[in-house]
Amino acid sequence: MVGTPVLFIVIPLLAAFIIPLTGMVWKNSVRIIPGLVLSYMLALSVSLMWHITETGTVVEVIAGWKPPIGINLVFSPFSGFLATLMIFLGLLVWAYSYKFKRNVDSEPALKYFILLMLLVTGSVGIVLTGDIFNMFVFIEIVGISGYGLTSFYTRRDSAEAAFKYLFMGSIASTFLLLAIMIIYSQLGTLNIAEIADKMPMMSNKLKVISLIFFILAIGIEAEIFPLNGWAPDVYTQAPGPIGAAFAGIVVKSAIYASVRLVYTMFDLSGALDLFIVIGLITFIVAETTALRQERLKRMLAYSSIGQMGLVMVAFGIGTKEGIFAALFLIFNHAIIKSLLFFSGSYLVYNKKNKFIKHVNGMGKYLPITSILFTIGAFAIIGLPPFAGFWSKLAILTAAADSKMLMLIAIILTVSILEAVYYLRVINRIYFFPKKKSTEAKKPTLNALIVMISLGIIIMVIGFYPDLITGIIDRAATDLMDKTGYIKDILTINN
Amino acid sequence: MKKAIILISLTILGVYLIDIFTGIGFGTQHFASGVKDAYLIGSKETLKVSNVVTSIVVNFRGFDTLGEVTVLFLASMALGGILYKKRHDVGERSVLFPSTRIVMSGAKLLFPSIVLLGAYVFIHGHLSPGGGFQGGTIIATGFLLMLITYRNYSVSHNRLSYVESFAGILFIGLGLAGYFINNSFLANIFPAGKLNDLFSGGVIGIIYVAVGFKVAAELTGIIYTVLHEKD
Repeated sequence: MVGTPVLFIVIPLLAAFIIPLTGMVWKNSVRIIPGLVLSYMLALSVSLMWHITETGTVVEVIAGWKPPIGINLVFSPFSGFLATLMIFLGLLVWAYSYKFKRNVDSEPALKYFILLMLLVTGSVGIVLTGDIFNMFVFIEIVGISGYGLTSFYTRRDSAEAAFKYLFMGSIASTFLLLAIMIIYSQLGTLNIAEIADKMPMMSNKLKVISLIFFILAIGIEAEIFPLNGWAPDVYTQAPGPIGAAFAGIVVKSAIYASVRLVYTMFDLSGALDLFIVIGLITFIVAETTALRQERLKRMLAYSSIGQMGLVMVAFGIGTKEGIFAALFLIFNHAIIKSLLFFSGSYLVYNKKNKFIKHVNGMGKYLPITSILFTIGAFAIIGLPPFAGFWSKLAILTAAADSKMLMLIAIILTVSILEAVYYLRVINRIYFFPKKKSTEAKKPTLNALIVMISLGIIIMVIGFYPDLITGIIDRAATDLMDKTGYIKDILTINN
Repeated sequence: MKKAIILISLTILGVYLIDIFTGIGFGTQHFASGVKDAYLIGSKETLKVSNVVTSIVVNFRGFDTLGEVTVLFLASMALGGILYKKRHDVGERSVLFPSTRIVMSGAKLLFPSIVLLGAYVFIHGHLSPGGGFQGGTIIATGFLLMLITYRNYSVSHNRLSYVESFAGILFIGLGLAGYFINNSFLANIFPAGKLNDLFSGGVIGIIYVAVGFKVAAELTGIIYTVLHEKD
């Protein structure tokens, strides 16, 4: 064991405070230290994942006050799985953007890596914390680093996108705080496990209103349908790798928060149809909108929203198979969408508007990037030899097991739309002539390594899904076990 | 039409919220159990801190405070990145008209006492109302006064950065000391002392001083960045 869960938060924060000092002496430290910290976090999370297979969930108390008095961090198979995934992606985003266009000499670029590191830290904090107010604080950290990263290019459009995000994020915070207030006023505690334990004591009226406020607040972050107006702009205007970070890290933490609330805190096991309805609407609307997009990143953004809708549907099925499918989809979406964002930003690199038509004929000039984008596109559609196939299959079988045949029909129909708009891009990459005015930009070596390793992971998971299904299965079992979660936290003695 | 719909839905939301929040009954004893008693007793008996709010903010829920301090740090950093100008681009502060002699002398006279008040507030954060955030804000207002009064008054960005970083490192360092000595992040490592003494509460007072410095440096940095924004 390299450490305990609290180090996931403390070490990056310590590094964030130290970096401005070392940056004055040695400029390169500004981008090297975040990478070292993220690698350390990855090592820590992997070793903790091994550790919990033997000992079970690790609960750590802070300041020596046992729950519910103090704050606690929970590293369970479920939260640990998500934390490891996020840190891994964060490390990839760091490696991809290591040699960024704006080099280290420009001061804003120095902030980029600190903001990225704290974005990952905040998301990991949301996943690990066992306290709703602490979760609120981490959502704020994620939000503010997100606003900063969105407006990184300091253009008019990116400022607008960041402002939109800031506005929505502030509304989300307000509602979250109102919901936390209602719960504290009724139950006198902020600990998720104790709230879950005492939830029956709350009157129905207050339960419903606080649930609505929670869903509203977290739905904004999780890109649920009517609340996701900020997302496409942010994905389009933020630097390419940050799009991957949003899709792979931030949204995943918001999904975690909503699932933790619905499954553990409010225990809606009888009324999960709500999730299916919200998820399906998000899925259908996002995929049909993606079909009409002219800009590549905007299309990827809508596709990302659609996939999150599908994750919601899978969680809404409510059986263990459904949760398994949802977690598998979260994993696949994280790696595949990152690859699409990474390779897609090179396909339209030198163009200001980043229209889809700018990828015309890139297959000849950027062969490896184009192949990787194609792998990503095929994987996200769910074609057989790639990772995405297994998660889509898992959702369909979960739906079939629960006798939701209509659901299968809808998912398959909408998947055709998905195939249409991805294949359209691939058609342009390989079978359209390149315009003279478009210049191909060769990816940097580190970006190439990152993309190829993602491509390899997608292929390997496609052929040997068993590598990952064991971990996901344990995570799904852990999420279903509400009483175990409460017991683990409230009876801790150290 | 659109406006009417928005207005109607906001009214419905407002009525609903009023209904909910009047029904809660703030200030009355309406839940028997809960963490409040543990806080009240722990603050007095274990931590020896007479200001319960401080003991909750810095110790019981000190992790949140670390997060909030980071939020402020991030905000000032992101703002610095967005409004960044190359050194030679830094323009004059936009001042509509120069201050009169009265304001100038008054500001000079007030500045030290404002800083002193701020320092007092965060040093006594565990004894009386106030603390790191409040004291830091008071100090930053002192700098704001100087910055808007004197056109050529400037604050060294590097120095602010030093204060900010060292205060942050002190906060986390004390937390980590607790982690290594007492096995729990932010756990108290110093003797708790006597209730109502200046040197009571162990690490709580020291952490609040660090928070005070950090907040003061960050808010001053934010004010300075925004004042130098050219249109």
